[in-house]
Amino acid sequence: MKVMGAVDLRRDKDSSVVLVSPDSFPEAIKATIPSYPHLITITAVHIDGGIELIYSFDNLRGEMRNIIVRLPEKEASIQSISSYLKGSYIYEMEVRDLFGVNFLGHPIPSARLLLPDSYPTNAPPPLLKTVSLEQLSRILDEAQRQEPPTMLTPVTGSSRYSVESLVILPFGPYHPALKEPEHFAIALEGERIVEAMPRIGYVHRGIEKLAENRTYLQVLFLVERVCGICSFHHSWTYTMAVEKLLGITPSKRAEYLRTLVAELERIHSHTLWIGLLGYWSGFDTMFMWLWSARERIMKLLEMIAGNRVNKSFITIGGVRRDVSDEKLKIILREIAEFEREFRKITDEVMSYDPLIERVRGIGSYNAETAILSGAVGPVLRAAGIPYDIRKIEPYGAYPEISFNVITGSRGDVLSIADVRVRETFESIEIIRQVIEKIPSGNPVPPTFFTGGGRDGEAIARTEPPRGELYYYIRGRTGMKTPYRVKIRTPTLPNLVLASEALKGYTLSDIPLILTMIDPCFSCEDRAIVYVGRRDPFIVKLHRTPPREISGGCTL
Amino acid sequence: MARDNLRMIRKSPWVFHFNSGGCNGCDIEVVAAFTPKYDVERLGMTLTSSPKHADILVVTGPVTRQVAGSLKMIYDQMPEPKIVIAIGTCACSGGIFRGGYNVIGGVDKIIKNVICVPGCPPNPRAIYSVIKKLYDNKIGGDEGNGSSRS
Repeated sequence: MKVMGAVDLRRDKDSSVVLVSPDSFPEAIKATIPSYPHLITITAVHIDGGIELIYSFDNLRGEMRNIIVRLPEKEASIQSISSYLKGSYIYEMEVRDLFGVNFLGHPIPSARLLLPDSYPTNAPPPLLKTVSLEQLSRILDEAQRQEPPTMLTPVTGSSRYSVESLVILPFGPYHPALKEPEHFAIALEGERIVEAMPRIGYVHRGIEKLAENRTYLQVLFLVERVCGICSFHHSWTYTMAVEKLLGITPSKRAEYLRTLVAELERIHSHTLWIGLLGYWSGFDTMFMWLWSARERIMKLLEMIAGNRVNKSFITIGGVRRDVSDEKLKIILREIAEFEREFRKITDEVMSYDPLIERVRGIGSYNAETAILSGAVGPVLRAAGIPYDIRKIEPYGAYPEISFNVITGSRGDVLSIADVRVRETFESIEIIRQVIEKIPSGNPVPPTFFTGGGRDGEAIARTEPPRGELYYYIRGRTGMKTPYRVKIRTPTLPNLVLASEALKGYTLSDIPLILTMIDPCFSCEDRAIVYVGRRDPFIVKLHRTPPREISGGCTL
Repeated sequence: MARDNLRMIRKSPWVFHFNSGGCNGCDIEVVAAFTPKYDVERLGMTLTSSPKHADILVVTGPVTRQVAGSLKMIYDQMPEPKIVIAIGTCACSGGIFRGGYNVIGGVDKIIKNVICVPGCPPNPRAIYSVIKKLYDNKIGGDEGNGSSRS
C-alpha cells in the first residue's frame, strides 16, 4: 500500500525520479525549474564510495520530481544552481559543510553555515560514512584543547569591510532582539538595511550524525527534540517515513489521534507567535493575554500525552496510548472555551490601530520572491500561494476532513499575522471534525518496534505550524540503525526570505521582520562549521531586491 | 560566597536567559513561567537583556562548541555574586545529544556551581518552585544541597 506523503525513490516507475550525470545536470535543472519552481531541499547521501545528491522539487501542487546526481567521494564538485533559484544557496552551504561537496559558482564560496568556527579545516566532513562519531569527537576535542573556546569575533561584522558609505553591523549571536542565538551581518546605509547575511549553527547539535548511530526507535525520541515547538510534527514525519520504508500501516484511530495532537500543536504554536508579535511591537499586554490563553491548550496536551512539550505520543505503527471518550469530551469543551477567549483577544488586538500601523507594510515581499527563496508555510501562503501539504499531499486523517487553506493577498507582517489567526480558527474546526469522526479501534501497537531496517528509501512531508517539513530516510537490510536521516525544517528556506525582506527597512524593524517567519533556529541548526574568512561581500550587493524570476542570488 | 548569595536574593533577582543550543522546548517553558499562569514576576523577577544587570543566569540546552566561548564571556560579565540555573536535562548533562560531535555536554563543563533542574523540559511549575526556593533562601548557588551541583 502506498502511504500518503511518501514516495519510494527509484522503485517508482513514473517520471518523478531522474538520474542524471554531472555533465548533463545544469540542463536537467534548467528544464525542471519552469514547471517545478519549488526546491524542497538537496539531500546528500554518502553511499558505495560516492556522494549522491538528491534535488527534490515540487510544482507547488504536490507533484514531486527528484533529480539524482552521483559524485565521486574525493573532491566532489558540482555546478551551483543558485543562479536559477536563489534559495538553493543555503541548502548548498549545508551540503558543503556536512559532506565537503564543492559548489562551483556559489555566491558565498568559502563560508561555513552550520559547523563551528573551531572545526579544523583539514578534518573530514562530519556526515561522511568513513568517519565515526568517536573519531569526530576526538578531533574536535583536540582542536578545542589547543585553542580553548573564546567569544568569536563575528567574521562578517568588522568595520574593515566598510566600503564607501556602507557599514556592517554585527547583529547577535546574543542580542536583546533575538531569543535564540544566531548571527546576522547587516550592511547599513545610514539606518537603512541594504543586505543581511545570516550565520547560523550556534544551536547545531549534529542530530543527523547521531541518528545514524541509534536504532529506529531511539531516533524517534531524538528527532522529537529537533524543535521544542513542533516536536510532534518532527516525530510524526519521521514515523511516516519509517512506516513507508518498512511497509507498516497504522490503524485509522491512530491516524485521527495523531491529527488531533498535531492540530493542538498548531494552535499553541500560532498563539505563541501572535503573542510574540505583540512583544516585539511593544504591546506586552497582548503577549500576556495570548500566552495566558495558550496555557489551556498546553493543559490539554499534558492531559493527552503526559507532557506539555516533548509529547512522545507517537510510536512506529500507531500511538503510545489511547485517548478515552471522556477526554475527547473535555477537549471539545476546552477548545470551545479557548475559541471564545482567542476570538475576543484577536478581535481586540487585530483592530487596534497602533498595532496595525506598526506592522502594516513591514517586511513586504511578493509571491515571486517567496517562491524563489523557497519559502514555505504561512509565509508563502500570506503572499497568496495556497501551498499546504495537508491539502496537496494529504496524510493522517486530513483526506477525510474538510478545511480551507488560508491565504493572504500580500506578503508583510500584518498579512502573515492575519493568516495565522485564521489558521488557528481553521484548526479548531479540524479538531471538532476529528473528534466527531474518530473511528473506534485500538491505536496502540502490541509491542514497540524494535526491528531493523531494509534496503530502500522513503520521503515524508507534513505541514507543521511553520510550513513544510521534509524527512528522507535510507535503510539498509540487516542494519539496526537508519543509514541516513535527512531533515529539512521550514525555517531554513524562510530565513532566506527574511534576509530578502529586511532589505530597505530600518534597524528598528529587524525584530519584527525576523519574527515574521516564526524562526526556530534550533530546527535548522540541528545538523551543521564555518571555515575561512569571508570575502568582502558588499562589493557585489544589489541595492534593490531583484524582481525578475531569473534574478539570481544577490548574496 | 553562600552568604553573599543569601544577601543577594533579598533584592529582586533579575534573570538573563541564555540559549546554549536548546531545542526551544525549555526556552518556551522559561518564558511561560513569566506569563500570567505561573507569573514569577510576582517575586519581583524580570528578564533582562544585559548580563551586566543580571543576578541569575538561566541556561537552556546542551552546550555546543560554537557557543561555549560566548557562555563563558556572558558569565564573566555578570556581577558577583552569581547564580546559574541549568534548565532541562540537556543543560544539566548534555541529555539526549550527549556524544554528538558538536556538543560539549552540560553547563558544568564551562561553569562550576550550577543548580540543575532536570526535565525534558521541566514544567513551568518546577521552574517556579526552584525560583521560589531561591527566593526563600532555601538554596544558594554555592551550598550544594539536593538540587545543586558543585
